[in-house]
Amino acid sequence: MNQLFEFLLRQRNLLLFILLQVISLWSVFTYNNYQHTLYFNTTNAWAASILSTRQEVASYHQLRDINGELALENQKLHQQIFQLQAQVQQKADIPVFFSKAALDRYKPIACKVIDQSTRNSQNYLTIEKGSQDGIKPGMAVISSTGVVGKVISCQENLSLIVSVLHTSNTISAKIKSSGELGYIKWPGYQPEVAELMDVSKYKKVVKGDTIVTSDYNAVYPPNVPIGIVAKVGLQDDGTFHDIKVMLLTHFSTLRYVYVIENKFAGQQAKLEQAKPKID
Amino acid sequence: MGANFQYKWVLGVVLSIVVQLLFLRDLALFYYGFCFIYLWAIIKAPIETPPVYLIIGGFALGWLLDTFYNTHGMHAFATVLVAWLRPTFFKILTPANGYDERSAISLAEMKWLWFFPYVALMLFTHHIVLFLLESSTGSLLGLSLLKAFLSTLLGLGVFALLELFNSSK
Repeated sequence: MNQLFEFLLRQRNLLLFILLQVISLWSVFTYNNYQHTLYFNTTNAWAASILSTRQEVASYHQLRDINGELALENQKLHQQIFQLQAQVQQKADIPVFFSKAALDRYKPIACKVIDQSTRNSQNYLTIEKGSQDGIKPGMAVISSTGVVGKVISCQENLSLIVSVLHTSNTISAKIKSSGELGYIKWPGYQPEVAELMDVSKYKKVVKGDTIVTSDYNAVYPPNVPIGIVAKVGLQDDGTFHDIKVMLLTHFSTLRYVYVIENKFAGQQAKLEQAKPKID
Repeated sequence: MGANFQYKWVLGVVLSIVVQLLFLRDLALFYYGFCFIYLWAIIKAPIETPPVYLIIGGFALGWLLDTFYNTHGMHAFATVLVAWLRPTFFKILTPANGYDERSAISLAEMKWLWFFPYVALMLFTHHIVLFLLESSTGSLLGLSLLKAFLSTLLGLGVFALLELFNSSK
């Protein structure tokens, strides 16, 4: 027994080292399960307050750019209002096929970004609204120009978002003009460029095509812009196009985002989970 | 020298962490060069610091960084590793006339032939482990190596500058 204690005492550095490494690795791998919520991230209250102050100072110097973006967005929204008004007037005497609930299925919640990274292989954002404001894990996040990511965990007043710039966060997407389906994946470097996968080489893809979210998407509303095709090539295996997409969201200067509440998300998940057997 | 040096070291640790968290978070040179100046605390810790404190300190430091970087244990793992390996590096790099109790880790005292290999070993070990953990898939091996290599170069430059500023006082 005495010898054992002596051994432990002699090897205390090694044992401590191994213990702490195991704790660290455990933390890495449980968190990378990616649905796990742990308290130790930027939604931690004091880390968030420091980052929030820092961001306030930084965003003061970007007010001009933010103003410009807002003006552009307003312009876009006005345009949409006009288009919709015109449609409503045209269709006034045709029976309506949408339920009233379907018309306001998606509800945007505007949020301030207090922290983000773009330079790592797995990037996250922290926003200043949480479960108290109706935000839940699994909701889509978009910016005024394109998709941003998906909420993965919420505190009362803060939420953590897994960005599109995360190698295991893929988005079901389609080419706007032709409707070709595929998915968007970020290769792990260059925060401006992602890849569109799974588009057969026999389909026509042209440089400059717009990529939007597909209709078969449990997270994002359909037709949210993602990016523009910048380069079309052939993948090594020779069956799919190798398509590089310039992302429309400028992640490094992102200051405000919209979390999209999908009022049907719960119903859809329930339906798809409990698929009745047909026989 | 003794007490004065400790005081300077503590001040340096606090400063390096603040600079790391508030200014260097989004900085990347040509996408690939990252600067992890918080390692100052481990690299410049007095030679006679007991390894136990170094390992525990490294863990706390890494965990703090993880909280701010959303990396969950990766910085902690890498930092504990270099804290544990530090005595081994000392053994590998013994200067010609050995260490004496007054020697401190600085460019002026240890000369560049000892100082730069030491800092490079510490930085590269930390960076390669960190970037490999972070990429989490084998497909990014080349990218991680490149990142680690460039970040080590950048780190060497930064540490050299800090030393030059320090010695002129």
